[in-house]
Amino acid sequence: MNMSRNEKFNVTSHLEDGICTVALSGELDLSVAPELRQVMEPLVVDETIDLVINLKELKYIDSTGIGILLSILKTRHGMNSGFLVEEVPDQIQKLFDMTGIAKFFAAENSH
Amino acid sequence: MTVTDEAQKVVISLPAKAEYVDIVRLNLYGVASKMGFSFEEIEDMKVAVSEACNNSVLYAYKHDQGNMEVTFDIIADELQITVRDEGESFDAWGKAAGRTGLHDKDLEDAQIGGLGFYLMQALMDNVSVESESGRGTKVVMSRRLIPSEERV
Repeated sequence: MNMSRNEKFNVTSHLEDGICTVALSGELDLSVAPELRQVMEPLVVDETIDLVINLKELKYIDSTGIGILLSILKTRHGMNSGFLVEEVPDQIQKLFDMTGIAKFFAAENSH
Repeated sequence: MTVTDEAQKVVISLPAKAEYVDIVRLNLYGVASKMGFSFEEIEDMKVAVSEACNNSVLYAYKHDQGNMEVTFDIIADELQITVRDEGESFDAWGKAAGRTGLHDKDLEDAQIGGLGFYLMQALMDNVSVESESGRGTKVVMSRRLIPSEERV
């Protein structure tokens, strides 16, 4: 654990067999929200893919980040298109549970 | 640093801009780890203090640039954090229906507004907001250090 260094936010996406996996790393906060929205915009409305967001390397999320995930989930749900949030670190899962967004992810994952 | 009966204080003043909020988190980490808070407790407080700063960034200075001031008060076994700005006051944040979180909501009704405040309350022992029109907002939050022998 290296706390003295800033955990810079990064997004990578990978498309294989119709599954687009977007991996988030570092700190997702208000300052990088526009960057994430921009990357996600075309992917979220793409009906030809199953969208997976991998949070394994995500170190931090605030309510702005949770809001973006909720908005993606709503859009995908409305389109009846696949959406999954995977490998959620414990500390972030705790915030998902606390805010109540966890149940929406769970419902979407069971489709 | 030894924790004494005397209150100790760390104050930082930063531009109320999103890219400075991580500096508040780094300072919080420094202060809270010196006091002996656990990694998980510090992660909780990081979210809480960032939400208060986000509020200043988003709502305090709509048309001008301004600063936010973050004060860490170490009062015996308690860390009290104050986030203050001198911007416009707001109603939407603290008084929003979102204070309850999303637990009782359907997906269609789920709104993110107010979640920041909700998280702050859930993650800290005490939170208070003072907001006066045109004179800024002060958010005060605290968390008590639980001695290791009391931990479950």
